Amino acid sequence: MKIQFSRVFSLRQLAQAVLRQSLIAIAAITLLLTGGLSFPQSAAAYPFWAQQNYESPREATGKIVCANCHLAAKPTQVEVPQAVLPDSVFKAVVKIPYDLETQQVLGDGSKGGLNVGAILMLPEGFKIAPDDRISEELREEVGNTYFLPYSDEQPNWVIVGPLPGEQYQEIVFPVLAPDPGQDKSLHFGKYSIHVGGNRGRGQVYPNGQASNNTAYNAAKAGTIAQVEAGADGGYSVTLQPAEGDAVVTQIPVGPELLIAEGDQVEAGQALTTNPNMGGFGQVDTEIVLQSPNRIKGLVAFLAAVTLSQIMLVLKKKQVEKVQAAEMSF
Amino acid sequence: MTTLKKPDLSDPQLREKLKNGMGHNYYGEPAWPNDLLYIFPVVILGTIACCVALAVLDPAMVGEPADPFATPLEILPEWYLYSTFQILRILPNKLLGIAAMTAIPLGLMVVPFIENVNKFQNPFRRPVATAVFLFGTAVTLWLGIGATFPIDESLTLGLF
Repeated sequence: MKIQFSRVFSLRQLAQAVLRQSLIAIAAITLLLTGGLSFPQSAAAYPFWAQQNYESPREATGKIVCANCHLAAKPTQVEVPQAVLPDSVFKAVVKIPYDLETQQVLGDGSKGGLNVGAILMLPEGFKIAPDDRISEELREEVGNTYFLPYSDEQPNWVIVGPLPGEQYQEIVFPVLAPDPGQDKSLHFGKYSIHVGGNRGRGQVYPNGQASNNTAYNAAKAGTIAQVEAGADGGYSVTLQPAEGDAVVTQIPVGPELLIAEGDQVEAGQALTTNPNMGGFGQVDTEIVLQSPNRIKGLVAFLAAVTLSQIMLVLKKKQVEKVQAAEMSF
Repeated sequence: MTTLKKPDLSDPQLREKLKNGMGHNYYGEPAWPNDLLYIFPVVILGTIACCVALAVLDPAMVGEPADPFATPLEILPEWYLYSTFQILRILPNKLLGIAAMTAIPLGLMVVPFIENVNKFQNPFRRPVATAVFLFGTAVTLWLGIGATFPIDESLTLGLF
């Protein structure tokens, strides 16, 4: 029984090894085929990749899809007013802080500055303010950032980037609030805003291929049989497990090798450094679309309340005088 | 205050009560009508005004419809349930978690019976109840703050 069991187990391992091998082969082929296409672009963060691949940039779990490729987590902040009046222009500020000294690995393996990108998911009806509504002051703050609506159906979702991070650690969005008086499908109330902000290149391409801005790990335990330098500056690492076929890991130019020929490695052990300096962060915030009439009503009501309170206290003082005169308590 | 009623210390009954820390309602300002008729409405109106102002200025948000097949990345209940949520979250067994939650009201119910031998009402003279209250408050704050941390540092609050 026991022997059979282990036999089954080793069969499964064999199957896994074969599968993994073929996957690596496929990955290597796609790398060869697509490498020439994707690498010249890859110096930038590309919010529009999310646009191409996802109908909604926010998954049902609340995760913004940028996190599928930008695996590292870094903080992102957002500043919006607590409440806005209908048909008014306000600014939403997305802050993507990072140390400006840091350099990231570019697609060709050289070092360069980080880019930033952001997505702002405004509530239904909100949109980027048209040019003639933006005040001179606000225009100066916005600069010449180009805001791209996520899709034709959703002009209230806006993506920005890639932008050079040196100038755009703060991205200012000029937003026009809708008017529920004009559009009957909209209502006053509180709505949530979802914001994603990213700095630096991603670790995975949308097709699942790892970029050169990530750490490469050993596929399984074994000995490093061979480390071969590729023509483009990358490496091809051959890993010989205790049993089974050797595994070849192609490492593109960028990450630095941590291992040498003859080293013993554990499964999952890092073969390279992690050159990634960036990361993605998302925040949710809320905004109130406030009706001016409600504010007027509230002020009138509060005035009435204050007046009645004052009258009650005055009445009490009057009664106290009567009580003092009559000593009837 | 013109309408302050002085304690009548010649009344032996009141003196006896005062000796036992009671009878404070026999002197001072009369509740009716001074407080009940005039000051209570002031407070009630103030409370209503606060509620209305809050409802207008910071209305409650209609959240997203729940999707049983997609658990949100960060689940947190309303703030007043943070500490209970933390108990459920850190205990490895669900039954144990429910037992721990049930133990809280049961334990609180026992306190007055234990302290019943004590004739004083003053909390400073009821050490058991006061100790349970202070300890409970500290633990509630600790667990409640911990609920907002990742689970591995939720008990140390990331301090140690």
